[in-house]
Amino acid sequence: MSADAIKELDLENGPTDEELVAETVKGNLASYDELIRRFQSRLYGVIYHLTSNHEDTNDMLMEVFDKAYRSLPTFRGQSSFYTWIYRIAINRTFNFLEKRKRRQGSMSLNELDEDGLPKLDLPDPSARNSPSKSSMLNELQNKLNESMLNLSKEHRTVVTLYDIQGLAHAEIAKIMGSTEGTVRSRLHYAHKQLQKSLGIYLRR
Amino acid sequence: MNQKDDFTQLQKLLQLKRLETPGQEYFDRFVDAFHQYQRQEILREEPWYAKLAEVLFEPWVAGVPRLATVAASAACLMAGVAFFLGPIGAGSAQLADGKVAHARGIIVASSQNDDSIQIQPELIETAAGGEGTQLRSLYVNGHGAVAYDSRLAF
Repeated sequence: MSADAIKELDLENGPTDEELVAETVKGNLASYDELIRRFQSRLYGVIYHLTSNHEDTNDMLMEVFDKAYRSLPTFRGQSSFYTWIYRIAINRTFNFLEKRKRRQGSMSLNELDEDGLPKLDLPDPSARNSPSKSSMLNELQNKLNESMLNLSKEHRTVVTLYDIQGLAHAEIAKIMGSTEGTVRSRLHYAHKQLQKSLGIYLRR
Repeated sequence: MNQKDDFTQLQKLLQLKRLETPGQEYFDRFVDAFHQYQRQEILREEPWYAKLAEVLFEPWVAGVPRLATVAASAACLMAGVAFFLGPIGAGSAQLADGKVAHARGIIVASSQNDDSIQIQPELIETAAGGEGTQLRSLYVNGHGAVAYDSRLAF
């Protein structure tokens, strides 16, 4: 679903994001709870697909909503709340990834899988599939996440926002503070890289 | 299979990642968990360097436009450098021993005779044009001293 469609849905369902922001600033905390409900799932997705770890994602999501809440009085509405909070989430996650990268040098063996890569959280495929399919799906998910983690954080972000979350190029450009051309070129490069590393699965 | 087919397959594969969510139950509980997190955070004061880092690196969160922040930071840095370095090179070289000069609050004293130079109170009063000058020492070395008096700044 595109962001425009989501916005239209919001308009049908009640106050706009900006109205909820104004209410929150006035001290109506229930309005902020409503903003959290609107964005929690989408922001969870962005952070998770950048970190590939559910525990880290949960911590980051709390931090993002807390930071946004504290900063709301300074929110000037130059961009939409939607763009603003996405930018906070992505920027915070980038910082976290930098810290994690530095920390990996001193990571304990418990935190690494048998290939020496950070352990990834994956949903249990057996919950949705037959045993024969689940093992294949598990292997595919591992490979998919590994390929995503091999991309730079900027390339991973555009893939997440475009291919997984279905945002338009223009929206991604606004969120990332870049041009549409940059977004398209990053996407093209990222797709090439992913096609290269996942080629065997794409031709099955 | 051509490249376009590969791309379509790739997109389908990437859409699989949409399944990697913690489930509705998690999101139903999230607001309550967030309130609990906020209560804990209120008790934990953010250190000053974290606030500074936020203004510098996330100015849109702190409500400051990025370009303005960079420009202001650069201006402060340049002003700081000029403030500390400018008067020493320009002022002290022109002064005779034991003399004091001032410009925009910066007072410069020069001496070749005394390794532990102090700005003499009477010379400062002369420079400041009166008694009771509040002086803040900025820089002292073997050949000169620099001090600042805010009353002379304008």
